[in-house]
Amino acid sequence: MNYILHIIVMIFIYGILALSLNLLIGYGGLISVCHAAFYGIGAYTTTLLMMNFNMNFFLALIVGVLLTSAMSLFIAYPSLRLKGDYFFLASLGFQIIIFAILYNWVNLTKGPYGIPGIPRPHVFGLALESEFFFFLFCGVIFYLIFLISKVLYNSPFGRVLKAIREDEIAAEALGKDVPAIKIWAFAISAGIAAIAGAMYAVYVSYIDPTSFTLDESIFILSIVLIGGSGNLKGPLIGVVFMIVLPEILRFLRIPDTVAPNVRQIIYGLALIILMKYRVQGILGDYSFE
Amino acid sequence: MILQFLANGLIAGAIFSLMGLGIGLVYNTTKVLHIAYASIFVSGAYALYFFLKVLHFSLFFSIVLAILIAMILNILIEVFVYKPCYLKKTSSAIPLISSIGTYVVLTNLIALIFGNETKIVTSGIEKSFQFGSVILTRIQIIQFAAFLLLFTLYLILLKRTKFGKLIRAFANNPELLSMCGVEVLNLRILIFGLSGIFAGVASCLVALDIGIDPYAGMSILLVALVSLIVGGVGIFESAVFGGFLIGIIQNLVVWKISARWQDCITFLILIFFLLFRPQGILGIKKRMEEL
Amino acid sequence: MEITVLNKMKTDTLILSGISRSFGGLKAVDDVSVEFPPGRITGLIGPNGAGKTTLFNIISGFIKPDKGEIWWQGEKLLKYPPWTIAMKGIGRLFQDVRVFKKITAIENVLLGKSNPGECPVNLLFNHKNVIAQYREDIEKAREWLAFVGLKEKENVLAENLSYGQQKLLAIARLLMADSKVLLLDEPTAGINPSLIKDLILMIKKIAESGRTVIFIEHNMNIVLEIAHWVYFLNEGRIVAFGRPEDVLGNQEVRLTYLGL
Repeated sequence: MNYILHIIVMIFIYGILALSLNLLIGYGGLISVCHAAFYGIGAYTTTLLMMNFNMNFFLALIVGVLLTSAMSLFIAYPSLRLKGDYFFLASLGFQIIIFAILYNWVNLTKGPYGIPGIPRPHVFGLALESEFFFFLFCGVIFYLIFLISKVLYNSPFGRVLKAIREDEIAAEALGKDVPAIKIWAFAISAGIAAIAGAMYAVYVSYIDPTSFTLDESIFILSIVLIGGSGNLKGPLIGVVFMIVLPEILRFLRIPDTVAPNVRQIIYGLALIILMKYRVQGILGDYSFE
Repeated sequence: MILQFLANGLIAGAIFSLMGLGIGLVYNTTKVLHIAYASIFVSGAYALYFFLKVLHFSLFFSIVLAILIAMILNILIEVFVYKPCYLKKTSSAIPLISSIGTYVVLTNLIALIFGNETKIVTSGIEKSFQFGSVILTRIQIIQFAAFLLLFTLYLILLKRTKFGKLIRAFANNPELLSMCGVEVLNLRILIFGLSGIFAGVASCLVALDIGIDPYAGMSILLVALVSLIVGGVGIFESAVFGGFLIGIIQNLVVWKISARWQDCITFLILIFFLLFRPQGILGIKKRMEEL
Repeated sequence: MEITVLNKMKTDTLILSGISRSFGGLKAVDDVSVEFPPGRITGLIGPNGAGKTTLFNIISGFIKPDKGEIWWQGEKLLKYPPWTIAMKGIGRLFQDVRVFKKITAIENVLLGKSNPGECPVNLLFNHKNVIAQYREDIEKAREWLAFVGLKEKENVLAENLSYGQQKLLAIARLLMADSKVLLLDEPTAGINPSLIKDLILMIKKIAESGRTVIFIEHNMNIVLEIAHWVYFLNEGRIVAFGRPEDVLGNQEVRLTYLGL
């Protein structure tokens, strides 16, 4: 039972990550591989505030969100100036730099030693030690993020994002301040990823930089590309595919030592096959032209 | 002291340059960001390991086979992954994503077959030589020599042969080439084959020095990409300039700051160039026409 | 050709002064100085490649000219990015239509004007305003869709409309923007003749309401019917100007353009 709860909590966390990356995929063929960096900044900020200053989880979370959103400017600005491949390289650079900081600034982050003993948050006086209550808590947060995504998607802001994704020039000719909107998209995307980071930190109660590597960014990107982007169903089906599928492998008696590699091979193949036959992913709206 | 770090920088730079030339050759001509090149590197190294350590072939034979494997694998990726995109005239995002997928598949296949730990290819301590205040191991000298040889051959190929002319024409004006009836698809295969050779040689050199693990390919590819951008996209030899510059800077960072911050500094340099000098040191600024 | 109104007062006359732009060695626009006063429908005619669309791109702010200046309501426009120019009242209809294909017709029209909800801050702190504005906008958008005859297509994805319908949609979107200056690049191409009549009436009405209409057209009948004034461009320069009948009667124009 706990095992199933664990799977669903991971679906919630990655669901939030996928919904947040969904905001960024597509503008001018933008591909970003730095989402794990936002995930990590959120996780570390929340954790450090809670552990070093005894801050309440929710307050630390808000600071984490604001800090991550602010740091997204470092990659949002290049997105205005760089096209396609060059932006991809910039996002690669941003990911590596953030990881290097998390890994090497040992005085601040404890580097590779990690930070153990992260406490569960207190909600209405209850510490969410039990797996079941924490699962409910995650569910609530996920649902809230889903609602926020839905509101954004159907709002004038969402509409402008869809327009810019399709035809920046036409959007500009209609008076839309495209650079400002892109910067907002990055800020919101990073902020939501930070929430996932905070949830992850209090869930596993130990974080170290190895959870926030380039490979992790590629994993999150694959979720959104395989499931599809541009609407809300795509990222979510992508999460189910990427999280549930490996669990099915267990039932096929694939040994645990080998399972991670097999899982990655499957999603690597999924990427290649989808790009060949179904560019919009399983349920996505947006396809690269 | 500084001379030792400079020497180390040059040796590292030699490897970065080889990989930079390989990825640059592909990018300048086909405009594909060949991320899967990282797994080509790893394939070459593991092929060497397999032939040398498992099948116990001779060193020479193992190296030749390893380079051959890297070359063939690179060509296969072009044929099955990139060629369809080229024929369908897709945007550059699609081959890039497919390349990432290919990297994930190949890297994990290798990890599946050989395991995740580092494999050592040579046994025993390397012989070292002293040149003044600088100490170099035998393999390091071989790395630099191999680079010089390969780079010289490459320059001759580029400047003096018909193939070289075709490559340069492809980089400058691909449509013209296909209109002149040049078999672009075959040219692409030759390009990927040559690029595979660079990766094969680099991977053997590195494997014989420090061994190999499945994830080393991405680390070295990343630096190769930085070398390409810093040197300048569009000019085939510029990755060498970038490679040596980054190699030296990395070792200066080790000397003056700490080995830990090499990556960070390297990629800060990348971002700086992307934003403020995207044409690299040797490149020419291209005008961007709107609409 | 002289500029008759070089006053920098806040006029609603769009003034181009000495605009030049080259691409490589090619002079796409060569020292163009023109005025577009409110209420006037001006036609830009000339052979393909004469620089008409480039001129539009310069006015809209997508291309910066090598020389010259543009005046609008007392300000120099060249320093602004395209979206600011659009917000100042200069609207653009593209030759290749450019509707947003993956959203519905009404969503396309809604995008014509700005809504406070386009800024996330307003979504969070000002939602009453956003919703109120949205209700207003939807009504107006429906009006414009009905005006161009697309009322039933309100919830159809733009990619499922015919080319002519997409063009009408783009026009509705532009009308929603309530621009003071309308730059129409071949507005009647691809539209069936019965609709063209309505379109012509619409353009006349727009001008009568005090707005400026500048249109690029290859159909001389339309030019003769609605334009008050015509500029003939060839190889980037203004070769002839005046009333449509006069310009089209001009010898040089007839030779270069109409092959007569």
